[in-house]
Amino acid sequence: MSAVRCIDLCKTYRQGDVDIKALDHLTVEIEKGEFVCLMSPSGGGKTTLLNAIGGLDIPDSGEVWIAGERIDQMSKGELADLRLANIGFVFQAYNLIPVLTAQENVEFVMQVQGVSSAERRNKSFAILEEVGLKGLEGRRPAEMSGGQQQRVAVARAIVSRPELVLADEPTANLDSKTSTELMELFTELNEHHNTTFVIATHDQRVQAYAKRLVRMLDGRIVDDVEQHAA
Amino acid sequence: MNIVLRLAWRNLWRHARRTWLTIGAMVFSNTLLVFMISLQFGMYGLMIDNTLQVFSGHMQIQAPGYKDDQKMRQVVPKVRPLAAHLRQELGTDLVSARGWAFGLASSEERSYGIGIYGVEPEFEARVSNIPGLIAQGRYLEKEDASEIVIGETLARNLRIGVGDELTLLGSGVDGSFAAAVVNVVGIFNSGVREIDRNIAEMPLGTFQEVFYMNGAGHQVVILAPDLDQAQALQQRVEAMLPADDGLVVHGWDALQPGLRQAIQADMSSAFFMYGILVILVAFSVLNTQLMSVLERTHEFGIVMALGLRPGRLGRLVMLETAMMGFIGLLLGALCGALFTTWFTVNGFSYPGMEEMVANFNLPGRVYPRATLLTMFAGPLVVFVFTLAAATYPALRLHRLHPVEAMRTN
Amino acid sequence: MRMFFVLSRLAWRYLWRNHRRTIVMLSAIAVGTWAMIFMTALTRGMVDQMIVDGISVIPGHVQIHDPEYLDDPSVNNRVAFSDTEIAARFSDAGFTAWASRVRVPAVVTSERESRGVTLLGIDPAAEKSFSFVDYDNVDGRFLEGPDDKGIVLGAKLAETLETRVGKRVVLMSQDPDNEIADRGFRVVGLFHAEMEATEESYTFVGKHTAQNMLRIGDTVTEVVFLGDDYRDVEPVYNKVVGLVDDSVRVSRWTEVDTYLGTMMGMMDGFMLIWVIVIFLALSFGLVNTLVMAVFERIREIGLMLALGMKPSSILGQILIESMMLLAVGLVIGDFLAWATIKPLESGIDISVVAKGMEMFGAASVLYPNLDINDVILSNVVVMILGFFASLSPAWRASRYEPVEAITKV
Repeated sequence: MSAVRCIDLCKTYRQGDVDIKALDHLTVEIEKGEFVCLMSPSGGGKTTLLNAIGGLDIPDSGEVWIAGERIDQMSKGELADLRLANIGFVFQAYNLIPVLTAQENVEFVMQVQGVSSAERRNKSFAILEEVGLKGLEGRRPAEMSGGQQQRVAVARAIVSRPELVLADEPTANLDSKTSTELMELFTELNEHHNTTFVIATHDQRVQAYAKRLVRMLDGRIVDDVEQHAA
Repeated sequence: MNIVLRLAWRNLWRHARRTWLTIGAMVFSNTLLVFMISLQFGMYGLMIDNTLQVFSGHMQIQAPGYKDDQKMRQVVPKVRPLAAHLRQELGTDLVSARGWAFGLASSEERSYGIGIYGVEPEFEARVSNIPGLIAQGRYLEKEDASEIVIGETLARNLRIGVGDELTLLGSGVDGSFAAAVVNVVGIFNSGVREIDRNIAEMPLGTFQEVFYMNGAGHQVVILAPDLDQAQALQQRVEAMLPADDGLVVHGWDALQPGLRQAIQADMSSAFFMYGILVILVAFSVLNTQLMSVLERTHEFGIVMALGLRPGRLGRLVMLETAMMGFIGLLLGALCGALFTTWFTVNGFSYPGMEEMVANFNLPGRVYPRATLLTMFAGPLVVFVFTLAAATYPALRLHRLHPVEAMRTN
Repeated sequence: MRMFFVLSRLAWRYLWRNHRRTIVMLSAIAVGTWAMIFMTALTRGMVDQMIVDGISVIPGHVQIHDPEYLDDPSVNNRVAFSDTEIAARFSDAGFTAWASRVRVPAVVTSERESRGVTLLGIDPAAEKSFSFVDYDNVDGRFLEGPDDKGIVLGAKLAETLETRVGKRVVLMSQDPDNEIADRGFRVVGLFHAEMEATEESYTFVGKHTAQNMLRIGDTVTEVVFLGDDYRDVEPVYNKVVGLVDDSVRVSRWTEVDTYLGTMMGMMDGFMLIWVIVIFLALSFGLVNTLVMAVFERIREIGLMLALGMKPSSILGQILIESMMLLAVGLVIGDFLAWATIKPLESGIDISVVAKGMEMFGAASVLYPNLDINDVILSNVVVMILGFFASLSPAWRASRYEPVEAITKV
């Protein structure tokens, strides 16, 4: 069973007077434990594909399967549950809830899932330590650097051990040292927990860490290669 | 359009929903204010008219002390010649003499204590609307006829009708026993509870005879052409009175002290409520303008860096507020006017109102009185408070530091 | 429940994120709440006192009359069964207090003046507990029993009649055959009342003395019963109805004095309208605040949706935020109202408009009445209406598409 399976996806946006084909009969399959990098110039469709996989966006046609379940016909509520249980998200920087502390941001998803407070506390402390933020648990996003904020976002995405982590331009707005640290963290998680990673990016430094590179252009896959990690 | 005006106008509509909500608060309050104030003035006018025109007139000449004690012997001597003299001197018919006595009225079946007025049949209709409110029979005609008109409730309680006889028992001006048998010629319905239940009128000539008045009466009632002229007329009348008689002239608010005070009491509670409404609108505006200033901190920082003074920005904020307030003023006055006009035509009433307002001589349905003042007084006050509320956000701009402001997102 | 805590914490934090806006809105809610409760307490105090004073004159919460009596308060319309029978029926029925009385219109005449009054023939011991006359605060003395041969007048009436304790007055009324029934009385006491009108209208004599004078034997015109609470007279009413037949009419005080009855109903209506008006004036600001609060965190809402929070939770979060804002404002407003009303509870002197208040039927000292039920009602109404007003912005917030919201800057 594939972790992700997309069959013949189409999605068209209208921007002004022009129709933009973000996904054009796209088919792709990702196995469990893969570390995939989606690459395209901006507007190439990588964010649309990522959103379709995450159930944030419904394709016009085609099928999306996550861990053997078809999701493109699910209700909003079912999709919400799916994301909550199976998928971790890392967005571009500044995507934390500003009124919550680092630890509370990490706990947020677990809290919605209904994890007991003691367990939440243990897990969130552990995961923050794992991403290197020990001692910063009580800070609010505004009191942290961009890199630190993004680590909190990663911690939040992986704390409930999802099988699939989707990341959209995770290194945008980060300096190169922080980017490297973040990618090493991803790799480590991928190898230790066999977590599937799908990362949309056009950052060269990120590509270097990918085990599979998928290049897109105008909503189609133009190149799909396995590569060995650097 | 001037560029500053255009800028202010466009800024106003950046958050159209917010602006409309704020204007909505103004329109809501203004509509209510216009309607309530019109209704209030309509009621007060009616209260004064009803109370004064039914009976007491705009002023009365009386013996000193009569107003408070209403004793038989506190008389105005030669009351009819005095009234005639005033009519001539003032060149008006709106003067009438009266006497008043308390007596027991007995019909075949019932006896009630009532107030009996002696009036001049010829002139009473000029100062009181009771002669015009005869529901059955006719009003008094001759100065010395043995006839009487009574209120509708009294007639019902006494179980008599037009043509029946009524026996009056009382005491004369000197304390002696007074009695008379008179014919009921008419029954009036004033709509004022107390008057319909307790009052009878008979010709002054007969009255003077029955109660041994010796040509005297108790009051000369004078009506001014309208309420506004009452004050001036009162001064003329005062100057005309013979000095040695020691008579006094009482204006309407002395005759009906409750009326003015009831209006005052009602007004103060009404103004408290209006004040609260205005303050709540002001808070709404303060909130909106504060938000509007805070969210533009970055933008203001840039233009200040370009060399614009905070004072000018402050004026821009005030201008935006004024525009918003002006829309609220116009729409509010318009809605208020429409709303009020509908009630001006159809009248305003609510269940139980008749019981409530009868104490104030009001009918069960009142008509608001819409004037330019009632139309714009409320909205203008709201407008002023709107501007006042915006001064805090406008003044805050002086504390803004361009570089820091630009750094804010 | 777990979700509720998650959402509550978020809502509370978000509330203080833009503390200026929250403080302005809280001030508005607090002022509005204060005005609601303060105004209601004043009006409630006034109306309560009017009703209590009014009932003390009626008196009693439930009365028995001849079916014709209320329309025609004549000696001919007496209670169908004798006073002895009345005593037999009601003495041991367990009423808080009750009394039978003779109440007819009469004329009182002194050497100088005559006035119409209501003659009350009473058994002073029976109605001591609920009479509007404080027996101990009488110039001279109050009646000593149903056979007392003296009369007690109001102080103001005595002044008008130019009489005093120890002098004689004549009381005139009619007997059942409409013969004049009169009798001389020695004035034994002068009572004092809250309102001048009360002092002018009522005179007390012994019940048996009145029965003799009116030649009505062992009969009375009314029986009055006191309950525990004038707001709820049904228990007494039902009990009385169970003890009589169709020959008499049983009335609640609201039917005896329709003005007072209407006032009481009107009071609750007024209060509700006032609460709703204030709420509406506030609602624009409330909705505005929520719209702004949602607008400035669209991205964050998108994020929460993307992380797997359900739209219903977003809806709940905004609603909780709104409810918290209202609740805090209400608490502050309630406290302000309490703090301003407490020092005024010893009474507010409004004697400058005493005559006007008398037209309303109210006394010249106002005792605010902070009724807990009014406070609860206004708070609950605000919360409920606030909930509905918040639905629209909250609904809109929950309808955002996560992708669009998250990319919105």
